[in-house]
Amino acid sequence: MADRYSFSLTTFSPSGKLVQIEYALNAVNQGVTALGIKATNGIVLATEKKSSSPLIDPPSLSKISLITPDIGMVYAGMGPDYRVLVDKARKVSHTGYKRIYNEYPPTRILVQDVARVVQEATQSGGVRPYGVSLLIAGWDEGVEPETPQAQKGDEEEPKKATGKTGGILKGGPSLYQVDPSGSYYPWKATAIGKHATSAKTFLEKRYTEGLELEDAIHIALLTLKETIEGEMNGDTIEIGIVGPPADHLLGFEGVEGSRGPRFRKLTKEEIEDYLTSL
Amino acid sequence: MASIIGHNPHSNSIGYSFSQPTNAGNKEHSFYPYTDNGGSVLGITGKDFAVLAGDTRSTSGYNINSRYVPKVFKIGGDQETGEGAHILLSVVGFAADGLALKERLDAVVKMYKYQHGKPMSVRACAQRLSTILYGKRFFPYYVQAILAGLDEEGKGALYGYDPVGSYEREQCRAAGAASSLIMPFLDNQVNLKNQYIPGSGEGHALEAKKPEPMPRDTVEQVVRDAFTSAVERHIEVGDGLQMLIITADGIEEIYHPLKKD
Amino acid sequence: MSSPFDINGGACVAMVGKDCVAIACDLRLGMQALTVSNNFPKIFNFAPGTYLGLTGLATDVSTVSDLFRYKVNMYRLREERHIAPQTLANLVSSSLYERRFGPYFVSPVIAGINNTTGKPFICGFDSIGCIDFAKDFIVSGTASDQLFGTCEGLWEPDLSPENLFETISQALLSAVDRDALSGWGAQVYIIEKDKVTQRLLKGRQD
Repeated sequence: MADRYSFSLTTFSPSGKLVQIEYALNAVNQGVTALGIKATNGIVLATEKKSSSPLIDPPSLSKISLITPDIGMVYAGMGPDYRVLVDKARKVSHTGYKRIYNEYPPTRILVQDVARVVQEATQSGGVRPYGVSLLIAGWDEGVEPETPQAQKGDEEEPKKATGKTGGILKGGPSLYQVDPSGSYYPWKATAIGKHATSAKTFLEKRYTEGLELEDAIHIALLTLKETIEGEMNGDTIEIGIVGPPADHLLGFEGVEGSRGPRFRKLTKEEIEDYLTSL
Repeated sequence: MASIIGHNPHSNSIGYSFSQPTNAGNKEHSFYPYTDNGGSVLGITGKDFAVLAGDTRSTSGYNINSRYVPKVFKIGGDQETGEGAHILLSVVGFAADGLALKERLDAVVKMYKYQHGKPMSVRACAQRLSTILYGKRFFPYYVQAILAGLDEEGKGALYGYDPVGSYEREQCRAAGAASSLIMPFLDNQVNLKNQYIPGSGEGHALEAKKPEPMPRDTVEQVVRDAFTSAVERHIEVGDGLQMLIITADGIEEIYHPLKKD
Repeated sequence: MSSPFDINGGACVAMVGKDCVAIACDLRLGMQALTVSNNFPKIFNFAPGTYLGLTGLATDVSTVSDLFRYKVNMYRLREERHIAPQTLANLVSSSLYERRFGPYFVSPVIAGINNTTGKPFICGFDSIGCIDFAKDFIVSGTASDQLFGTCEGLWEPDLSPENLFETISQALLSAVDRDALSGWGAQVYIIEKDKVTQRLLKGRQD
């Protein structure tokens, strides 16, 4: 009986808009800026960690999350909604993939699964849309046989994209944005949140093809510096990277065939090292 | 062959040749005087010899009773050394019945020599063994027997039996727990089943290879291969391989260790 | 004899060679001792160089092969790529375990070459999805005992595609000739990188 009255709050306006989704986007655009940059050998996710009071213990706050060992996620918008989505993303990557295929989902598959969760909240009864935009960064092992690298190196034809995303067959890094509507976009570099527009303008100027991860981290910090409101240090900045396998995070060694996670968050000390060389 | 007592390898999900305990609420008690002691035997004939071989493991259920209980015997020879024997008998199944059968056949063959003044021919012994087995048609010896020797022409002779005396002269025969593993291998390697002469024709014109009596060292190698294969995949086979080779010069015994796991 | 695995009969075997794998099955379909068909292949293709063999209850062989055709088609549409043999193995395992307390009466076998690594892969399963990752060969069906004997006796490491074909064919034919419920011709697939050869064997027609 109760469900008879639980109409979807997201209802079309006569002009064809879903204003609830636009309101959700407004919430996102008030959120703290987060950005992501894709490099040739990895991806960087970065955001500001703003605390409303100096009494808050900064390390307990975490805005960049590991979803699978090779995929990380950051948000702009409502923190509680984000944590719900992190839970759901982690859960669906197991129930919808790892428990079936005994391997973690490729980035695009996970993005689609998360986007489905977000979309369902725009069409179901008794719920409101999620008030967050997400940046999802991941690394996929390619399925094409590894071809011996062309040694010549000098004059090569521009690489052709082999799949629609250009990633799932070839493998490598990919960076996606997911919006409250459930739509998702692949990016080379982007930003979401309060200063997204100015950050994106900055990124457009700074981004070059063939960027390396170290350069990308550098650019990420420069971009953040443009928009940051407080002071920039290891406590107020959060950085997650997708890079080479971090075998030291495995907790064991000497097991053949095991590989550490590619996604990891930089420590306070690592961030401060990058900041001093800024 | 083993239609009477032969376990069906597909009847229960795991193809062990012994029955699995059941946990019924009410237990029905009964006397069952047979045990399957596992193991396998195998015989192959050549032009002027016959080989009879068997593993030496004795099991009951998952237990190993002994790693050396021979299943291949000399018939009609000296009680201790077996000297003078000219017939071989292998028995696999219930070891106690096998031993009793061997003792009985041994006595029969000896009595024959005393009464007739000449050794019993393998052909006669084969027929007699069938009679002995059928004599216990309604309380059978729980065994599959193989009898080997040299026939009147000096050729290798091999007879395979079911527990109640049905028998047949053959070129080769495997019996016991791993017979289902060994027999198709023997079909292929000894009787050259499914082997054709390359380039001899297309379709039905293709000419099948004709089995020829194999030299002794080849036969011994095939026997060893058959048993090492069986040991890998059957838990009731292992420990040792006892091989008796009968030629015009007498009986030779060879022992090879097999895996003990 | 009333085991669902033994009603229709059938046999399947997979073997690893040097940079190649082979999978073969018989063609019989029976109802107990009565042979109903001599054209019932038990091997199904799920990606280039990736094959699944199914023996057991014939109705489940059809159902399960159709189920995996659906699942693998969905996988290919979603992921825009072919399923790897290892991934198919885990899919088969999880799908069979889903029916843990009402299983499909099948014994699957997978053979293939991983396109990414170029390495040969075979594995077998019980009816509830426990995977047997063998390095040499996998057997299944009513002639599995016989196949264990012939494979253990004939197989050796690093066989060339030609020798692997001869080995798997002799192993299968000799094994099914000692099983009343299997036989009536056979189908053999030799899988090499970027090349698959399918052969039909006549075998004994009894």
